[in-house]
Amino acid sequence: MNITKVTIENYKCFNGKFTLTPNKGLNIIVGDNEGGKSTILEAIHLALTGLLNGRYLKNELTQYLFNIETVNSYVKNISEKKPATLPHVLIELCIEGEDIALFEGDGNIDKKKDCGVSFRICFDEKYQAEYEELLKAGNIKTVPIEYYDIVWTSFARQGITAKSIPLKSALIDSTSSRYQNGSDIYISRIIRENLEHKEIVDITQAYRKMQEVFMDEKAIIAINDKIKTAAKISDKDVKLSVDLSSKNAWETSLMTYLDDIPFHNIGKGEQCIVKTKLALGHKKSQEANIILIEEPENHLSHTKLNELIQSIKENLGVKQIFISTHSSFVANKLGLDSLILLNDSKTVTLKDLKTETKNFFSHLSGYDTLRLILCKKAILVEGDSDELIIQKAYMNTNGNKLPIEKGIDVISVGTAFLRFLEVAEKLNKPVAVVTDNDGDVTALETKYENFIGSKIKPNISICYDPTVDSGALVIGKKNKPFNYNTLEPKILKENSRAILNTILGTAYTTDDDLHKYMKANKTECALKIFETVEAIKFPQYILSAIK
Amino acid sequence: MKSNKLIVAAAGAGKTTFLVNEALKLKDERVLITTYTQANEAEIRKKLIEVNQCIPPNVTVQTWFSFLLQHGVRPFQGGLFEKEITGLILVNSQSGLKAYRNQCEDCKQKRIVKVCSKCKDPIYFGEEKEFERHYFSKEHKIYSDKISKFVFRCNTVSQGSVIERLSNIYSHIFIDEVQDLAGYDLELLKLLFKANTNTLLVGDPRQGTYSTNSSAKNKKFKKAAIVNFFEDDSMNIEMDTTSLVTNYRCNNSICDLSNKLFPDLPTTTSGNNETTNHDGVFLVRGNDVNEYLNLHSPTQLRENIKTEVNQNYRVMNFGESKGLSFDRVLIYPTKPFLNWLANDNSELATTSRSKLYVALTRARFSVGIICDYADELEIEGMNKWK
Repeated sequence: MNITKVTIENYKCFNGKFTLTPNKGLNIIVGDNEGGKSTILEAIHLALTGLLNGRYLKNELTQYLFNIETVNSYVKNISEKKPATLPHVLIELCIEGEDIALFEGDGNIDKKKDCGVSFRICFDEKYQAEYEELLKAGNIKTVPIEYYDIVWTSFARQGITAKSIPLKSALIDSTSSRYQNGSDIYISRIIRENLEHKEIVDITQAYRKMQEVFMDEKAIIAINDKIKTAAKISDKDVKLSVDLSSKNAWETSLMTYLDDIPFHNIGKGEQCIVKTKLALGHKKSQEANIILIEEPENHLSHTKLNELIQSIKENLGVKQIFISTHSSFVANKLGLDSLILLNDSKTVTLKDLKTETKNFFSHLSGYDTLRLILCKKAILVEGDSDELIIQKAYMNTNGNKLPIEKGIDVISVGTAFLRFLEVAEKLNKPVAVVTDNDGDVTALETKYENFIGSKIKPNISICYDPTVDSGALVIGKKNKPFNYNTLEPKILKENSRAILNTILGTAYTTDDDLHKYMKANKTECALKIFETVEAIKFPQYILSAIK
Repeated sequence: MKSNKLIVAAAGAGKTTFLVNEALKLKDERVLITTYTQANEAEIRKKLIEVNQCIPPNVTVQTWFSFLLQHGVRPFQGGLFEKEITGLILVNSQSGLKAYRNQCEDCKQKRIVKVCSKCKDPIYFGEEKEFERHYFSKEHKIYSDKISKFVFRCNTVSQGSVIERLSNIYSHIFIDEVQDLAGYDLELLKLLFKANTNTLLVGDPRQGTYSTNSSAKNKKFKKAAIVNFFEDDSMNIEMDTTSLVTNYRCNNSICDLSNKLFPDLPTTTSGNNETTNHDGVFLVRGNDVNEYLNLHSPTQLRENIKTEVNQNYRVMNFGESKGLSFDRVLIYPTKPFLNWLANDNSELATTSRSKLYVALTRARFSVGIICDYADELEIEGMNKWK
């Protein structure tokens, strides 16, 4: 059983209707800060459990749940005496699976036959008279939340509770919500949902028995006798006992321990791993499981993160997982094809990425794929020195502003140009590749044949110098011919030896010596160029990349 | 293996017990047991608990209207009516009154349109042009006499989704007191018989005291005539009139009297041989009622709330008592009842006949009938109290 569609309306950062069509198994949600990644996880959890931040939302409705723009336009319409419909929040989850006919109907936003649940925060019609008075008084500054209620129904328009929903969700985030006694709500939920009905009955029984034993203890009997005779408060018995008043007394009184340490006292990272593993180990057959993990990289070292990702990959099974992340490592490792990019309340996926590309990034998970995915425009270069030079070139022509300040990310991709380009093509992301021609323009043009000439893509430009330079210099013990077609010689060609000597703080008298120096000290030279205040010119192919 | 089955049996033959036992045999399949009256719904729950100590999670017991509202109306109402349907409103006469052609002076003066016995020639909201007012009250409650028609329409516009969903949820649908169903209810039954769910219906044409509605649809099959509806071969239902013929509730003398009410139907024999200090049918004079109540504590059964009774003892209307069992009852008879009791050839309308039948057959041991009889009166099978 899994979620096939998520619809969110007017909830927090989502102004109007937002829809997401998740994958059956893994979903990695990436996007800018404030983009709504956590809100999606939160909304799914809310619609399945009625819980927000570990508390039942029912009695804690606030106007802040509503999208601010929606509220503003409502308030504006009211003040201008225009027709104003009261805003509502809607979270709708379509589900598929066996034995869910009870949830089938056309009571959903699309009025189409489907299975699912609908969670609405909307005006309660029984307060119509009060609202009318409020309108007459004419002082509405925000949503009249006191007249709102939660309507939680199946698509068959039948009222539901968390218990009646066959999908169970576990939210794993860094905030910890605790019961009064300190025991963590989420972990209690995860553990409880792992239990069969019979086991829950057994725990309750054992807990009651514990009370009886406690009450039969000689010391307690003696104390109670003493209280009874001393307390003349009323004619009724006064005595000490174990609290059994609340419905799930055992749940709020029992504490989860890890190696004798109370769960909430262990490290945040370990908490995250334990919660995830418990949720993954959920074996109850009738109930499916949704796991929502918020930015797992937050509290975890690289090794621990790797461990966590590994166990998610291995135990995925039939569970559906939603992970929000800023970490390329997480995204690469779990598979870029499960990526859902959230941008301006719209989603883009990388569903039909080539398997080789997916595997490449999964094995070499150090690549900054998310930087490409999240930037406005990317300039792909081979290494650190190229990165510095391009940035300098950009600053020269853009009032000394770094490209990243304009959302343009210069990314070193080593030799993985084509892999990155495949991702960029899927996302329709503007990308410029800056590459050396290495003395063989034909080979270069063959390599990028899918992006140049007749197959040119509007969002992708390949920038290289079409001129092949040559010279007499040979280097090394084997007297290998010097490559005049890399970045440094091209810069020297564009400027003069004198200028470069000034910038680099060198005093070479021949170009050949300067070439050798620059080749041997690539990064240092690039840094000097980056930091210089001298006027420097850049080759045309670099300038065309930063346009 | 899909099956449809109807069991026709007299009062006390254990129809409800049979349904309950059949339901309890089905361990892994979802079963719905539904019936028209709330009293009988409660009785089914009670029986389930008697046999099984609790209602198993795979068994749902629901009244017919609540079932129709939850599974018939709401899931696919979108094709017909998008506003929220707030509930059901029980009506006794045709709903959706629009106006009267000839209003009474009183109503005319007050300028109101309401159900009124003095106003003549009512006009009703039509289904096509005044859809909302035809089906719903102003508060968007659906009228009980039209709910099954609405469900039927929902199923049609959703291309059978209502019935399909239902058969996906319940592999077995059991209906108790099926003779109470009428009008479009029967059209829904036809659809269920064709659907991929098993149906098991039990009923007794003798006990047609109620109808879920008074619709013109399927009028000829109402109450006692419901058996004819199922006799149609195209209905594809197996009818069983012989499995349950023993009345385990009533003793012999109560059985004999009740048999006389329906001479054309198979007679039932009593399966209750237990004796007490007060067994059989007794005529009780009006003046002796309180003493009789005090001595035997019977449940009082009456036509309706207007009948005066002793409020210190349990009391029920005839119709309401259907499906229930008591050790002793005391009947407040209507005039036609008394006439029939004195002479079983005298006229007794079908519904009244059913009500008397229901009233008599509630008791295990004794039936008291209030009657200021003449000293010389002798009726076969009846004793005079005191």
